[in-house]
Amino acid sequence: MQDVGSLIRNDSVHRSIYTDQHIFDMEMDLIFNKTWVFLAHACEIAEEGDYKTTYIGRHPIIVTRLADGTVTALINRCRHRGPIVCQHEYGNSKHFRCPYHSWTYDNSGNLIGVPMPQGYGKSFDRTQLGLTRVPRVAEYQGFIFGCMTEFGPTLQEHLGGITKFLDAYVAVSPTGKIDLFEGTQKCGYNGNWKYQLENGVDPYHVGALHLSAVTPEAMEIYRQGRGSVVAMDGHGVTDHTDWGPMPVDASLSGGFNLVIFPNLIVLRSQIRTVRPIAVDRTEIYTNAVRLQNVAEDVNLRRMRDQEFEFGAAGTFFTDDLEIFERTQEGLQSGAVDWVVFARGLDREEMRNGYMTGSMSDETQHRGMYQNWKRMMTGVTSPALAAE
Amino acid sequence: MSVQRSDVEDFLYREARLLDTARFEEWLDLFTDDALYWVPAGKDDIDPSRHVSIIHDDKAAMATRIKRLRSGFAFSQDPASRVHRLISNVEVTGPEEGSSIFEVNCMILLVELARKRQTVHTARCEFTLDRSTTTWRIRRKKVNLLRNGEVLESTPFLI
Repeated sequence: MQDVGSLIRNDSVHRSIYTDQHIFDMEMDLIFNKTWVFLAHACEIAEEGDYKTTYIGRHPIIVTRLADGTVTALINRCRHRGPIVCQHEYGNSKHFRCPYHSWTYDNSGNLIGVPMPQGYGKSFDRTQLGLTRVPRVAEYQGFIFGCMTEFGPTLQEHLGGITKFLDAYVAVSPTGKIDLFEGTQKCGYNGNWKYQLENGVDPYHVGALHLSAVTPEAMEIYRQGRGSVVAMDGHGVTDHTDWGPMPVDASLSGGFNLVIFPNLIVLRSQIRTVRPIAVDRTEIYTNAVRLQNVAEDVNLRRMRDQEFEFGAAGTFFTDDLEIFERTQEGLQSGAVDWVVFARGLDREEMRNGYMTGSMSDETQHRGMYQNWKRMMTGVTSPALAAE
Repeated sequence: MSVQRSDVEDFLYREARLLDTARFEEWLDLFTDDALYWVPAGKDDIDPSRHVSIIHDDKAAMATRIKRLRSGFAFSQDPASRVHRLISNVEVTGPEEGSSIFEVNCMILLVELARKRQTVHTARCEFTLDRSTTTWRIRRKKVNLLRNGEVLESTPFLI
């Protein structure tokens, strides 16, 4: 096994980061168990007792709103023999009961019921047997994240410059708050999770892979190459705001795409959550974003366009899913080990403190892979790496 | 005059054959101009103004979808999916006296072969049909996939 840091070069990455199960296991441990992972939007658990089940890496998670309005996240695993204690995607409950032996927990995770407890003897301490809490949960502009480590950068530090883009994203809604439409588009592909992260901020592919789906007007803008790509605190940004601000109708005409490492993509009228399953298997959960206090037909158009282009049958997304699977197949070949991310190396420059490239460049990918390298070699954040 | 189930079955078989043999333009012609082609996501009975769908197309969107499939650049359909549809459990309701509109429910077993993978879908289909013209027309096709709440592989073909 070669040093994992050597798998990332400035102009290329080693194919094994997409194909090696051992690397995937390391990612679960050194990335998903260490950094902030997107869990839910606040509107999905708006009321006291509302919960959503999701994942942090391999951990099944319950995110729930407590009586005091705060949000907690619990590992969805009975402390007795291990079954998940909540099998629904959404719901409202003050407690979770494992049906196997009826161990029962309140929704802040405390073990409140054990049948026939006398069988456990004096050393049995139920205060030590609550559902495991995700050590840190934090929210920014309604986006709720969890972190499996107690110490390290705060969510705001982790997001860095991305915060101002999230501010702008919710500011498109006249109230400054966004909601989600009901329901989730769920898609899967036989390929590595990082293809989706690269693809979420990859203007270079739009005029090629999506030739059959993109409108002539949008194609013209892409061909002009206006806008920029930014390596921002370990995350990726494609900034089209010089075409125009994030449009209320979510058309392909301005705004920005965000890839918030390691599992959240925000663009147009959607938020996409990336769930790595195995080195060659990934699931994508997409929600349509609803603005507050805009005309109903505007919101409806946002959802209809998102369905048409990005659902399981989407005119854009099916071609993305296809190319992810073809990539997984191609990268089985070790005839050449290196995958090229060299676009714009000669023309990128520091702008406002961030390495910035032209619209079709790969500056944002290089930034994400430097972040990946830092995490995988044990340095947990760009802020720490800079010190 | 009531509608004969055998006539409905003939119509459904024809619709299925047009899709299975990629005669998409002829398939589109079966629909009225105000038609809805709908595949709900999550569960069968959702309010599509509040809840996302897998497909919720008016006729213009259907035409755009077909134009894409014909463009030569729909890479997820190169090669195209091969699809077999089996139809059964056909139930006809209406038309009521003085109306040309009637409802059809049926089950569909849809098997897709693409990307070296065979994917099996079953669905309960709802059609609203109009027999006011000599050729029956579809006003609404709703496909309630059994797996509409599950993670789906890429589904680039017409369902």
